[in-house]
Amino acid sequence: MTKGKWLQFILDRMIWLILILVVIFFTIRIGGKFLSGTTLINVLLHASVLGVLTIGQTICLLSGNFDLSAEGIVSLLTVLAAWLMLPYREMTLAQAGGIGWELSPYIVIPLMLVLGTFIGWINGILITRLRMNNFIVTLAMQLFLRGIAYVISLGAIMPGTPKDFNWLGGGRIGAIPVSVIFTLILFLVFEFFVRYARFGRELYAVGANRDAARASGFNPEKTVTQAYMIGGFMAALAAWMLLGRLEVSVPTLGQGMTLETVASAVIGGVALSGGSGSIMGAFSGVLLLSVVDTGLNMMEVDPFWITGVRGLIILVALLLEVQKSRIRVDMLAGRAKSPVVRS
Amino acid sequence: MKKDKLYDIFLFIVDNLIWVFVVVALLVFSLISKNFFTPFNLVNILSRVAPLALLVIGQSFTLITANFDLSSESTMGFTAMVAALLLASQKNGGLGLEINPFLGILIMLLVGGAIGAFNGIFITRFGMNNFIMTVAMLMILRGATYAISPGKSVNFLPPEFDWLGGGALFRIPSGDGKFLAVPVSMFFVIVAFIVAHIVTKYTRFGRDMYAVGSNRQAAEAAGIDSKRIVTIVYIISGLCAALAGLLDAGRMDSATPRTGAGLIFPVQAAAVIGGISLFGGRGNLIGAFGGVLLWGILDTGLNIAKVSPFWIEVSRGALLLFAMFIDALKVRYLRRMALRKVLAASTIGLKDPLLQVE
Amino acid sequence: METLSSNVILEMKGISKAFPGVQALNNVDLTVLEGEIHGLVGKNGAGKSTLMAILMGLHSLDSGELIINGRLITNVTPREALEAGIAYVPQQVRMMDSLTVAENILAGNLPVNRFGLVDWEAAFKDAEERLHRLGLELDVRQRVEGLGVVEQTMLAIAKALFSNARLIILDEPTAALARADIERLFGFIRSLKNMGVAFIYISHHLEEVFEICDRVTVLRNGQQVGTYEVKDLDIPHLIRLMVGEEIRDYERQSTCQDEVVLEVRGLTRRGHYEDVSFTVRKGEVVGLSGLAGSGAAALGRALFGLERRGVGEVWLKGKPFTAKSPREALDKGLAYLPQDRYRFGLVGIRPVRENITYTILHQLLNALRFVSFRKENEVVQKYIEALEIVCTSPEQRVGLLSGGNQQKVIFAKLAATRPSVLILHEPTQGIDVRAKLDIYRIVDELASQGIGVLIISSEVRELLGVCDRILVMYKGRISAEFRSGEPQTTPENILLAIEGGNAHDQRQVAAVYS
Repeated sequence: MTKGKWLQFILDRMIWLILILVVIFFTIRIGGKFLSGTTLINVLLHASVLGVLTIGQTICLLSGNFDLSAEGIVSLLTVLAAWLMLPYREMTLAQAGGIGWELSPYIVIPLMLVLGTFIGWINGILITRLRMNNFIVTLAMQLFLRGIAYVISLGAIMPGTPKDFNWLGGGRIGAIPVSVIFTLILFLVFEFFVRYARFGRELYAVGANRDAARASGFNPEKTVTQAYMIGGFMAALAAWMLLGRLEVSVPTLGQGMTLETVASAVIGGVALSGGSGSIMGAFSGVLLLSVVDTGLNMMEVDPFWITGVRGLIILVALLLEVQKSRIRVDMLAGRAKSPVVRS
Repeated sequence: MKKDKLYDIFLFIVDNLIWVFVVVALLVFSLISKNFFTPFNLVNILSRVAPLALLVIGQSFTLITANFDLSSESTMGFTAMVAALLLASQKNGGLGLEINPFLGILIMLLVGGAIGAFNGIFITRFGMNNFIMTVAMLMILRGATYAISPGKSVNFLPPEFDWLGGGALFRIPSGDGKFLAVPVSMFFVIVAFIVAHIVTKYTRFGRDMYAVGSNRQAAEAAGIDSKRIVTIVYIISGLCAALAGLLDAGRMDSATPRTGAGLIFPVQAAAVIGGISLFGGRGNLIGAFGGVLLWGILDTGLNIAKVSPFWIEVSRGALLLFAMFIDALKVRYLRRMALRKVLAASTIGLKDPLLQVE
Repeated sequence: METLSSNVILEMKGISKAFPGVQALNNVDLTVLEGEIHGLVGKNGAGKSTLMAILMGLHSLDSGELIINGRLITNVTPREALEAGIAYVPQQVRMMDSLTVAENILAGNLPVNRFGLVDWEAAFKDAEERLHRLGLELDVRQRVEGLGVVEQTMLAIAKALFSNARLIILDEPTAALARADIERLFGFIRSLKNMGVAFIYISHHLEEVFEICDRVTVLRNGQQVGTYEVKDLDIPHLIRLMVGEEIRDYERQSTCQDEVVLEVRGLTRRGHYEDVSFTVRKGEVVGLSGLAGSGAAALGRALFGLERRGVGEVWLKGKPFTAKSPREALDKGLAYLPQDRYRFGLVGIRPVRENITYTILHQLLNALRFVSFRKENEVVQKYIEALEIVCTSPEQRVGLLSGGNQQKVIFAKLAATRPSVLILHEPTQGIDVRAKLDIYRIVDELASQGIGVLIISSEVRELLGVCDRILVMYKGRISAEFRSGEPQTTPENILLAIEGGNAHDQRQVAAVYS
């Protein structure tokens, strides 16, 4: 028991230790330049889009479900937003314009948020009402949305989003990007929300033990659906942020980010089995991935190896989480083996 | 022993439902478009979906053991890119090694098999969830494919390499002085399905797959090494994905960073609508072949009918949902049939029967 | 060990096993002979399952000896048990449902022809012949899921025999069977017995024990009462052996008032219970008992909205009552303590504090609609003190508490909703003696506050101590009612009613089945 507890304690806090080691490693390899304010801003900038998506993912994971559709939502909404806002232009090589409606950003942004939430709602309904597997549903949704993004964009990029749209992703207050401030605030708000609001309590209960939550008077179907709606909403925010930063829609935007969000959450101590972990924990995971990415980029490592390292981190994180939950199961099993005799 | 007639009839229908769909689809498209029912189209349906067909074979193997391999589309893209880089000249985007095409194919298969083995070992030995593991692999390999590619397609591959995917086995004069080329890939797909069918139906390994998928504990109690079976199945799936990459690169005479992207979606749909159950232990490769045919017919038919790509995409999504829905319904119904027998047997007596079904 | 006569298959001697807080088995002997059907009976918690788990190598034993086929085995592993020829057939047989009977029989060992391919004709013939040798005629080409329940059970027994089992443990094999199917199963078992196969037969249906068993071993509270020839016993005698002398765990003063808080009229759900009517008064504690499948358990879940209720009327405090979900039931004043506390009662990885307040979160919100920690802690502290919940702090994970304290947390959670009716399902299962007394005291206290309590339990002694009235359900109907203090309210009579007889015609019941 005590051995298990110690292991648990260390596993739960290992992230900060690793983060420090990683920073030391990069400082040695790159030098003092790595410890500059610019690097910090770069790390946080990298952490912003990933972070917003990770908040959504974490909430879904806490409810005991995966949301693999988020990157599909990002992909669709960035393309859709550019398409609705940009003037019509004949397609050249790989560049295209919008449909020509030139909608105002103040219409498009709410539309994105509503659409993202709506897609989350559909996920939730399919999973809770039709009782389909959350993994299959959201993966299918991801591929489906990406397919539609391709159909709209025909694979072309659409450059030149309007200024009013770009302030969230590209704007700065002094030297600090708006998106960084925005993301930090979001993390704090959601940490507070999940920890103290009634919804948070339901989320943990439903994720940890759906049957007991129901018998305690909660409505797990509703809670899970709401979790997916938050996931969809956060994906829409991420899409807005990302498109605003790049000022050009690329149909492959967001590709592969789902796994990074899952990995960030898991690295930060969120259990894949649901009901355990915190938003700020997930933030530490986001930070670690961002530091590694930024560091490797500054070392001018071949992109191939960056992908490899990232993949390795993700696999190791998932593997550790599986082992950790095994320990947890063993610990609880020690209790569960009480002489409950069924005959 | 008296047989339960209704049950048998139901089973026969659900097991062969796919062929009804195939025939209906053929009829509908023939009526909609005069251009559909031509020799050229019919011959091309199978070669168009040849890469998909190979992925479906691999997926069926894993699904029968109640596992998923969601990484296969990326395995396909990655192996195709690896081979293309090794084969193509530098000016066409390759590394300029221009190695022997057969060596290239061999390397492809080795890489595919190794990826499958990696998946299988992590799932069976380290207790990774098969979903998480293969989705991680799906994304990691796609990223790796982009990373190793020159950022665009790699073109002009050697003809020996292209033969299987793009070559013609023979040509039939089609009257007007032109020739109808009968593609190699069509025959390859048919042969592959026959082999897969024999493996699943007539080898001990194949039957062990079904046993593991139907009830792993019972299979292990009967002395079947489920970990070994599942690992091999993932290796087979990796090999099939590499073959799919070979067919696709051969047909296109190029590999792109997006080769195979998004295919996992139709792969699942084709396998499931062909009767391979997501819950394991059910379905056969002949049905899966029917699923591939149906997908090919829809694909070709919708294209010829000039349906907008948007609606094609939507209809594909709808088809997958429909297939999954039918599958869930089927399994639920079969379980309920078993349950009804229990209830019919005793007015009162079973401990919470409905609770145990869910 | 050669001194043993050759036809003893299994000898368990002086088996003892303790779990934290409970002596599950104390010096139990069990001898099974070749070609014998040996009954194993006892109330819930008597130690039957633990004894079988030891035999199958799932639990280690603290002391005692296990001799299988004359070979002494000190610590059995599941594999050793299997190799020694011991097989377990559960109530719900799980096989490879989507595969044929033949494949289930020959799994991992299908015949192949000279090309290495499976020879299906040979496989079907082989399977058919094997079954035929056991006198079992099944269509080997049929998928297992297409078979009836009794056929699946018989197939499971046959399969065990094909892997050289000599002793088969049958755990409640008839619970889901109609009479005609029971006849078939018993016929099959008897024919195997004549071939020398031995059976251990576990059942709550005592009449079946008389019908099929040669000898019967009775367990009570982990002790062996004795092993008897069935022909020397009758049902009332066997029940007396199972119950033992009457020691009441607990005595309470009735706080029953006149006002009816729960009234159930003609409630019927096909396949579960039929035409059930009863009332619970304010401050009254009513017991409800019955065999597994008698409908008592389903009734509790249905009233709480966890399952469909069927047709019929339910009145709560004079108003018509329906609950489609537990939330609705809680809001209307009906709370329920589930039997499986790990699955339905607690969120094990969350702290005690959260588990206590799950049901009343909406009452603890502050102006910002956030959970007020001050209000929450007040409630939590109050219940931890009142129910004497032992935990290191309210932040301790509830899964790490002892069984009794876990149960108290659930009581706190339910009591916090201030219900008018409380339904308790096996409230003392799997907890130690001291905690049991605590639970009884809590029930007593809640009743004296005017809550109507319905206890669904198979622990007759517990019901006798704590209840004002005890209702018995048999095959979905309420078949008997016992009032506290009346002369016929004895454990024997109640158990007899649970078994399907009643006090006045026990001789008839025994006659029907012997």
